[in-house]
Amino acid sequence: MADWSLELYREKEGEDVNSISQMPEIILNEMKLLNLVIFLFITVITVHAQRGYIHDGSALRFLVESGTIPILFWKLPATVVMLCAAFMLLLSIPCNNHPELVIKLLAEYGIALWISALTGFGYTGAVLLLLADAMRYRIDWKKRIWYIALICILYLVMNGNILQDFFHTIPLSQMWMYYRQDARNSLLGILNMLGLINTLVFILYMVVLTITQTSEKERILRLNSQLQAANRKLEEYAEEQVRMTETRERNRLAREIHDTLGHSLTGIITGIEACIMLMDIAPEATKEQLRAIAEVARGGITDVRHSVNALRPDALENLELHRALEKLVEESERSTGVKVDFTFPEDLQMLDQDEEDVLYRIVQESITNAIRHGHASQIRIEITRSGNDLKIHIEDNGVGCDEIHSGFGLHHMQERIDMLKGSLSYSGSNGFVIDAVVPIRVASEEEDGGNERR
Amino acid sequence: MIIKQKNAADAPRSPRFWAAAVLLLLAALLLGGVDRRLSFHKNKKLTVGVFAGSYWEIENGYPYRILDDAIARFREENPEIEVVYTSGILKSDYSEWLSEQIMQGSAPDLFFVPGNDFGTFSQIGALRPLDDLIREDPDFDPEAFYPSALAFGQEEGRQLAIPYECAPNMMFVNKTILDREGIALPDPDWTWEDFLSICRQVTHSTDETGVVNQFGVSGYTWVDAFNANGVTLFNEAGTSCDFTVPPVGEAISFLENLQNANSGYNVSDRDFSGGNVAFQPMMFSRYRAYKSRELSLKQYSGFEWDCITMPAGPSGDNVSRLDTLCVAMNSRTSQEKEAWELLKLLTYDKEIQKEIFDYSEGISPLSGVTESEETADMIRRRTGTEFNTDTLRRAMGKSVIAPRFSGYEEAKEEVSLAVRSILESNANLQMEQILWNRTINSYLKARK
Repeated sequence: MADWSLELYREKEGEDVNSISQMPEIILNEMKLLNLVIFLFITVITVHAQRGYIHDGSALRFLVESGTIPILFWKLPATVVMLCAAFMLLLSIPCNNHPELVIKLLAEYGIALWISALTGFGYTGAVLLLLADAMRYRIDWKKRIWYIALICILYLVMNGNILQDFFHTIPLSQMWMYYRQDARNSLLGILNMLGLINTLVFILYMVVLTITQTSEKERILRLNSQLQAANRKLEEYAEEQVRMTETRERNRLAREIHDTLGHSLTGIITGIEACIMLMDIAPEATKEQLRAIAEVARGGITDVRHSVNALRPDALENLELHRALEKLVEESERSTGVKVDFTFPEDLQMLDQDEEDVLYRIVQESITNAIRHGHASQIRIEITRSGNDLKIHIEDNGVGCDEIHSGFGLHHMQERIDMLKGSLSYSGSNGFVIDAVVPIRVASEEEDGGNERR
Repeated sequence: MIIKQKNAADAPRSPRFWAAAVLLLLAALLLGGVDRRLSFHKNKKLTVGVFAGSYWEIENGYPYRILDDAIARFREENPEIEVVYTSGILKSDYSEWLSEQIMQGSAPDLFFVPGNDFGTFSQIGALRPLDDLIREDPDFDPEAFYPSALAFGQEEGRQLAIPYECAPNMMFVNKTILDREGIALPDPDWTWEDFLSICRQVTHSTDETGVVNQFGVSGYTWVDAFNANGVTLFNEAGTSCDFTVPPVGEAISFLENLQNANSGYNVSDRDFSGGNVAFQPMMFSRYRAYKSRELSLKQYSGFEWDCITMPAGPSGDNVSRLDTLCVAMNSRTSQEKEAWELLKLLTYDKEIQKEIFDYSEGISPLSGVTESEETADMIRRRTGTEFNTDTLRRAMGKSVIAPRFSGYEEAKEEVSLAVRSILESNANLQMEQILWNRTINSYLKARK
């Protein structure tokens, strides 16, 4: 359907509208008005002639010559006005696609033909209105040629004599025989002139429309180049941003190292130098000093741990593991609409940071995979603890896969689990199922244990 | 889909679409004539178009008598329906009046159609085809009519009008002349040969001056001759003509012989009414009119006369030309059933049709009425003659109708011109026929 869609050439609101862009619409309206006037002119003269035949007592001669009964004199203007109104209404209806436009054009042609038949085929220029109307749409030239050809054929058909015979129409020239030769010539002259004006207005319309459409194209080209420039700027800005972030991070790291390790190491160096001097003189005092140094070193370690903590990314940095997992699940549900069924044991506070990290990453990666590759709508996550093993079972109802290409995601997961000496298995035959077992250290180890293994 | 900007012209399309559709429907209904179906009158009214006086152009003092009687009968059966007609329209103005009514949309539901204008009114579609009404009416039997009279109301196989009154043209004979010359009245199936020999016998001088003053025939035209010799000159639509066939040549030769028999004298109607001509073709209506007591003194009073069948040509028969007054229904009437009842009463009711013999000069197109003994009695009583219905039966049985295409009168003029110039020239007859055939056909082609 997309390539069938149509749009009218129109200025967008809020843009600075130059006067020429409204010209086609104005000319089209003038053209409609002109056609209405022409039809009314023919109707009025025809009705007058009809009344004249009756008044002059030449009705029989008229019937013999025309060979058909003319439309009742009051019905003619009534129907012509109604048909003209219907014609104008149809012209004003915009179309959204090509079938609609073709149907609309045929309907309009039918009405134009009807009016022309009623008015003795004295004027057929109303078909130009159809062409003018069709040209208002954004149609590529290939299709546009077809439309023009169609309407031209219809125009020719209407001007042929075949239809006149079919409709048993009394030709206008015969209808107006009532008038004297000179008067008839003047009336037909006026009609021809009006028809010619209609053609000229149509040409003007086409010229103005072409100019408008060309200027619109130029405007689009101009806007396009502006957009490209803005895009380039945006890219530059993004690069700049990355550089700035890097610098800021570097500075932060440097500051952290300086403030924590630097401070502790300085204290330790100073203390050790003091110990070297004191060692022979006062071993007791040295011992005391070394204890103090150990204290400083321990403080330094704590500081380093804090710093590393501060450098940890995303949710885990600020939240406890189960809160972070809940948040992850919640966000996934909210942003992708996937339903996540999540069970999680309460007693997991004692996990170390590296264990928390691995757990978090496995869950995160699995959800991402299920959504991105499996197109799943439901995911079940089950984390259970049996003894010192943490079991993670994740399955989804997605498409799965027959042959698993261990990509970056799974590879990474495997690496992380290997680091904790755990095991990972997965299958893609029925949805995608991941089973991971991670041995955990019991919470007896304090302080530095976790860090060593990091 | 391209997301479109909301714009004033994008307002809901359907109200405009429906408005256009309603306007189209209204226009179609109006052109279809829905306004005629909407009756605001409580009482039904049937209108009839009729001219004053007799179709046969003879003043008889009963201009609307038969119609009035028919209306009275109709009102007895349908008291709720009013029947009106405009009186005082002369026959000469009638077709123009009817045309004006048709153009104004006020044409009567039923109207009489003079024979000459049948073609015009049928061509413009003013006459409603009656075949369906005839088929659905078990009381109406088209067989009751003389076939040629019924054919007068037909066009292209459709029955567009029903004959009301008709008259064949017949040969009037001056019996006084024949008696004086010792010639017997010709047989009903007499031929051109008999006709010509009688004409030759009677054409001579009756006094001492030696100037020829008694003639054989007046007013026998090519139309009579062509009919008698079985010539169908035009096709039904009047678009072509066959003037080259041998019967045409025979007819023209015969006309030449007749002209010569009259010693070259141009015999007129006046000579016949003066009692100096033996034969003259005339409508039967004229016989009835001038044989009636009221008018018998005005014309044809100095001699005994009667009417017999027309003479037959070698390729034809004793054929009479039939003129018929029909009644037709307006193609735009909204009261078909009522109009049909009245139409039927006028054309098919024996009592009403009998009145034609009382108040008009034509004859009924119903063979049962025309050929009844009652009718023969009436004609005998009124004309004071020994009228024999056999003659009438023969004439009606072999009658033909003139073509009725629009423009026939003009085409006839062309043929008259052709016949006249052939009779006047001494050129080869067949050659002339071919030449005039071209002329007449090109005239017909140019006219269409």
